[in-house]
Amino acid sequence: MLNNPLLLLVSVPIAAGILCLFLPDRLKAVTRLLVFAVTSASLAGSVYVFIKKPLYWQCCGSNVFLVDNLSAFIGMGIALFALLTAIYSFGFIEKSFGRYFGYVLMTLGSSFGVAFANDLLVLLTFWGFLGGTLYLLVNIQGTDKASAAAKKALIVIGGTDAVMLFGIALIWNITGTFSMDKINLSLDGPTAYIAFLCLAIAAFAKAGVMPFHSWVPDVAEDGPTPVTAYLPASLDKLLGIYLLSRVALHMFVMNAVSNTILLAVGAVTIIFAVVIALVQHNMKRLLGYHAVSQVGYMVLGIGTGTAIGIAGGLFHMLNHAIYKSCLFLSGGNVEKKAGTADLAKLGGLAKYMPVTFACFMVASLSISGIPPFNGFVSKWMIYQGIIESAGANNPAWALWLACAMFGSALTLASFMKLLHTIFLGRQAKGLKDVREVGFSMSFPIIVLGGLCLIFGVFAFKIPIPLFIAPSIGAGIAYLGIWKSVIATILIIVGILAGLLIYLRFKPGQFRTVKSFVGGEEADDLGRVSGVEFYDTIKDMKGFKTLYKKEETKSFDIYEVASKGTFSFSKLLQWLHNGILPTYLVWCLMGMIVLFFLLMK
Amino acid sequence: MKENLIPIFVILPLAGAFLISLLGKRIRGFSDIFSNIIAFLLLALSVYSVFVVNSVGVMVYKVGMWSPPIGISLVLDSLSSFMLVTINLIAFLIMAYAANYMEGYTAKWKFYVLFLLMLTGMEGVIITGDMFNLFVFLEMASVASYALVAYGTEAEELEASFKYLIMSSLGSLFILLGIAFIYGYTSTLNMADIANVLLQKGPGNIVLFVSVLFIMGFGLKAALVPFHAWLPDAHPAAPAPVSAMLSGVLIKALGVYALVRIFYSVIGSSPGILFVLMFLGAISMVVGVFLAIGQWDMKRLLAYHSISQIGYIFLGIGLGTPLGILGGLFHLFNHSVFKSLLFLNAGAVEYSTGTRDLREMGGLKERMPVTAGTSLIASMSIAGIPPFNGFWSKLIIILAAVQAGHPIYAAFAVIASILTLASFAKVQKYAFFGKLNKKFKDIKEVPVFMRGSMILLAAICIISGILVIPALSRFFLGPATDVLVNGTDYAKTVFGAIR
Repeated sequence: MLNNPLLLLVSVPIAAGILCLFLPDRLKAVTRLLVFAVTSASLAGSVYVFIKKPLYWQCCGSNVFLVDNLSAFIGMGIALFALLTAIYSFGFIEKSFGRYFGYVLMTLGSSFGVAFANDLLVLLTFWGFLGGTLYLLVNIQGTDKASAAAKKALIVIGGTDAVMLFGIALIWNITGTFSMDKINLSLDGPTAYIAFLCLAIAAFAKAGVMPFHSWVPDVAEDGPTPVTAYLPASLDKLLGIYLLSRVALHMFVMNAVSNTILLAVGAVTIIFAVVIALVQHNMKRLLGYHAVSQVGYMVLGIGTGTAIGIAGGLFHMLNHAIYKSCLFLSGGNVEKKAGTADLAKLGGLAKYMPVTFACFMVASLSISGIPPFNGFVSKWMIYQGIIESAGANNPAWALWLACAMFGSALTLASFMKLLHTIFLGRQAKGLKDVREVGFSMSFPIIVLGGLCLIFGVFAFKIPIPLFIAPSIGAGIAYLGIWKSVIATILIIVGILAGLLIYLRFKPGQFRTVKSFVGGEEADDLGRVSGVEFYDTIKDMKGFKTLYKKEETKSFDIYEVASKGTFSFSKLLQWLHNGILPTYLVWCLMGMIVLFFLLMK
Repeated sequence: MKENLIPIFVILPLAGAFLISLLGKRIRGFSDIFSNIIAFLLLALSVYSVFVVNSVGVMVYKVGMWSPPIGISLVLDSLSSFMLVTINLIAFLIMAYAANYMEGYTAKWKFYVLFLLMLTGMEGVIITGDMFNLFVFLEMASVASYALVAYGTEAEELEASFKYLIMSSLGSLFILLGIAFIYGYTSTLNMADIANVLLQKGPGNIVLFVSVLFIMGFGLKAALVPFHAWLPDAHPAAPAPVSAMLSGVLIKALGVYALVRIFYSVIGSSPGILFVLMFLGAISMVVGVFLAIGQWDMKRLLAYHSISQIGYIFLGIGLGTPLGILGGLFHLFNHSVFKSLLFLNAGAVEYSTGTRDLREMGGLKERMPVTAGTSLIASMSIAGIPPFNGFWSKLIIILAAVQAGHPIYAAFAVIASILTLASFAKVQKYAFFGKLNKKFKDIKEVPVFMRGSMILLAAICIISGILVIPALSRFFLGPATDVLVNGTDYAKTVFGAIR
């Protein structure tokens, strides 16, 4: 029993995490060593599981853990991001060292638990525990804003856990089993639909799909950066989309209605979140909204119901986790060194932080879907999936396709703003002493940036045949032709040609002068910061009301629900007026009703 | 002769109360040490009783050697020993906490006297096999609790205690009326005998009438909506150990246990009664939590949650299926643990900062790490975050509700669970996380006994989830569930145990 790799992968990180909680800050070196050992061993273990799959662990006569191609692939992703986050955090985290890494390791173990679980109750247990660790991780810095964001995340995620429990209860009642490999429900009644929706809602909340998205930007803005990169940007995406694909591919037989639900949710998420992201002033919040927007593609891909669309969705999940954690971690570098994440106060950092800039740019191009980076390939596959699914079952395919493509264009626009504002343009005041980060904070982003490139150029050689195609277990038929290696060579040739032309016109034949206004040196006046790039959209008709509504949080399910809750609570409190005779009357009324009910 | 064990549960705390009232004032520290010893002995005894009942079976003690149905009999079965363990575990830990906490009040020994009397009443209610005897013990516990709520003798406490007194007496009155009616109908007061007579005579309108009286009376003691209005005043006003005791076990011993025992073992559970229990449970669950989430007084918020959680227990037990009853009883145990812990946390915060208003707190985890940590665990438990105990019992209740064909009730349970989570996220955010309020930068963590009992309760929150795994459930929760599942076989078992 103890030599089962699955059980070890789940239990060792959790046990090590509990140990870490009690390690004082004095023993940072010990903590570091332990965390590094456990996370790298987990990565090795997950690779072993990936090679040896299918594996299982039995207890009480049923498969508690069962690893197939999909979960083995997810498991490797989890371990990779945990390792990179841990390395990054060695340089980033200063306070509450032991507690932070304790929670990180517990998160790692229970994420394995979610990915490997075959029993729905086991899945639910680990899933719920992850909500708790997220809450504690976001709270680790102890600021007021962080604790508000943590509260919101806990309520949205923990609340949807309860919804998921309800869905599991319904499934159990219909099928009589908790084993996911034995469940194959057709959506032929209201109960089955409700069960499907309950599980989908849990997956949506974890992954940050609208309308359960609002915790992601809040956590991104106010939480510690490595936590954002670790949970909302990578692990929660992996697990949320993992659950969604389990539900949609294995546990339920999808039909036109359920697919349309997913397509609509995905398309709305893409467009809406990216439009909001365009006008953000805080780097981390902006990235947070993109983390929401990109999930839309994954849901869209799975919603197409075609092999290539689903493969695209899963590939996009992996790619997103890579480039988004790269973005957050490089953003974290900027914040750490510049001391702010406010875009208005940043600018011209490319010169001082070249590594961070390069990685940030690669990841930005990936997320915007620029070839030859990985984001392009997966988006391309999703587009193909939508086109392939066109027909009677998917009459609105053109709409979904348009949403996806338009969303991609807006993403590019928004990252142009970000790149310009942070790294290019003239240097902002007060950023004189910014230096490049140390090794532990640059290593993870270099790895991630490299993966963006490798997974893009060799998409059809490495990630897709190795991870994606086995996971969905069906052949993928490509509609269009995209030879990524040839395309890359062409792109490189193009860039070289451009470089030649540029050099032909002899750069450096210009002079730099200071700008003056009325004889006085104008320091910040001439600086184009880029924060206001898209403010015109804000004043456009239609968009204006949208942004107004967003500012008043009308789209935030958490705020809307809490408004309703508190007004109902006020009503009930008003009824409890503290006057004894009123209360006695209630008792007697209650009795009368009971007499009526029982003795009629 | 193991049944001689049974009356000790009543004699021990009663004798303790008597001795403390004689000596407590004269000998310093006597009341602290003596009452803690008694509470520990009771805990040990009740754990022992679980083993005894598991090996010997149901035991009956004949008071004054008079055989039932003439004399009073005391009955110890698995459900009773389950309740005894719950009550005495909580009572012991609260007693240790009180040793430090009650320093702030004058005449500490009076507190112990009243506390032990209340304990006597509760243990009596659990082990009695006689209807009128049950009423006597119930009144004993209630009267002691009125005095304990008023213990601070400020305006707030007195008002709360008065309200509690009036409403609770109303409940007692209807219970007494019900007992009188049932005596008139069956000519006996012995619970097992009543069950036998009712089986022979068949259900009549009078039984339904009595059922309503009992639901109202015991429902009021258990704070079911709409009979709940005394609780949000009484529980916050009392000193923290008393609030913990009232919310943690008193409403369960006097309300839930008595109601369930009478309806399952004596009168027999009809679908109509079960429907009413489930319905009231569901309403309490939802109304309680909606009221709780709007509160800013920490103890008041907790008090409203007691209403809501009692609703869960009734929903589970009211389902009538073995799984539902198991979930209900398990939640009863878990709620005792985490709710008393939460009240003790609130008490600790009040002890150190002098306030119960969440808006005045903030960042207390820096200065009070033990209180903050244990309160986090208790909040996670009540909110149903795995792996803490509240998750497992809610899980079972929701599964059981769906299984029994009541998905709507399950959905209500889910909604209440979300709101519970939300309101405890609020407590954690305002009280313990965030920035430390400057006013409290010099406060200290609470003294050692208070810390110790909070840590022990938190440890139970973490590990008691394992009670439900089959190997352990067979031992503790399972037999208690079986008592209720077997229903009116109670009479047969009791009379079988006499001969």
